Amino acid sequence: MSGLSLDHTAEAFEFIEELDRLATPQDIIDAMERTFSRFGFENFIIAGLPHPDQRIESLVLLKKWPLGWYQRYTSNGYDRHDPVIRLCRQTVQPFEWSEARYDPETNPKGAEIMRGAADFGMKQGYCLPIHGLNGFEACLSMSGPSLDLTAQTKPALHLMAMYAFERARLILAPSPRPNPLTLREQETLRWAALGKSAADTGEILGVTERTITAHMGSACQKLSAANKTHAVARALQHRLIEL
Amino acid sequence: MTSIQVITRENKVEYAEILDEYFRLRHEVFVGERGWTNLRRSDGRDVDAYDNDNASYLIAIDKDQVIGGLRLYPTLLPHMISEAFPHLVKEKGVLSGLTILECTRYFIVKERRTGRADCRLLAGFQQFCLEEGVTEVTAVVEMWWLPRWHQAGFKVRPLGLPTMVEGQPCIAAAIRISEASLDHVRRLAGLRGSCISRASRDSTHLNGVPHVAA
Repeated sequence: MSGLSLDHTAEAFEFIEELDRLATPQDIIDAMERTFSRFGFENFIIAGLPHPDQRIESLVLLKKWPLGWYQRYTSNGYDRHDPVIRLCRQTVQPFEWSEARYDPETNPKGAEIMRGAADFGMKQGYCLPIHGLNGFEACLSMSGPSLDLTAQTKPALHLMAMYAFERARLILAPSPRPNPLTLREQETLRWAALGKSAADTGEILGVTERTITAHMGSACQKLSAANKTHAVARALQHRLIEL
Repeated sequence: MTSIQVITRENKVEYAEILDEYFRLRHEVFVGERGWTNLRRSDGRDVDAYDNDNASYLIAIDKDQVIGGLRLYPTLLPHMISEAFPHLVKEKGVLSGLTILECTRYFIVKERRTGRADCRLLAGFQQFCLEEGVTEVTAVVEMWWLPRWHQAGFKVRPLGLPTMVEGQPCIAAAIRISEASLDHVRRLAGLRGSCISRASRDSTHLNGVPHVAA
């Protein structure tokens, strides 16, 4: 038993050392494929989590996904409903896809997405959420038809996935996207979230109601929100404001 | 703006109040928030065997309020990894040396976790260690800290596999101290220069007198 877990330690440390020597995204994909396949993983993706006005395609750093699934996933905007992505935003701990619960009533697309993935051989999965500084959010999600996920393998996988993510981030260096909302827009949304009207907020901030309405309009546009309530919900969901 | 006050055995008497506030917040964060109930004390202060003359503290202060901090301790003495967490380190043994410190009890108060306070404290940490000739700093942290350090430009090597501590996967790791990391985290923190103060209270007072900058 301890022999087994020692093996995983050595494997994890070798992988991490190897990563340091890799220079291209393809090198990382190859190394991940070699190492993670020993645990049953066939597919993986490293991507930033999109703000409401972003498309997931623009945030994908690395991927080894069946092309058909990737096309279906992106053209349907599945990232907006994917239970795995939703859980990613809520936890800092890695989890198995099966732990990403969804209510078929409120998220009917959840079942469609998980079934669709399974049809492409992505039956089981393991996802590592990344919550960085300044609101930077990303994930590394890996999957396969049958995974070796046990108390012995998970710590090694957790560590390897984290360093694979870091290597990809360093090589591809996406600068974390700044909050698209101005400070005034954030303030306006925060007060709205606390139940204040535009007139109240104007009074609090010492500006006219019209100015507040303009800030709100601009925030709605940036968040692709239909109205004030929608904008507040989106800003909270994507951590663009804090209460 | 957040600045970082260095407190060591030399000036801890003058900074007793700030240190006490740091201990009180530590109790609030580690016992209250994180639920490390074995640290609970009736005086509401988190103080342990390593809070002695060998410890140095970097305390984050904004508008006279303590908003976070960390503790540094020599690894040549019995320290937390050697005494409490040796099982987190793989076979080669606990990393220790004259230029290696251990960092413990890092926190930023809840209200300040979304801004740049973390980056400021991390910048102060790299700067202090560079000035002291420290080469590496070991720590046991929750795994979700690693990407934050990475993003701050820190070079971090794991010393063992993640292991559950108080219900959270934690890891023993070593941070390399370097100019490059300091530069990177300073940019993130929006700092052009030093943000640490080593002054004793008297000289801070003198520095507070308005003067013409050269």
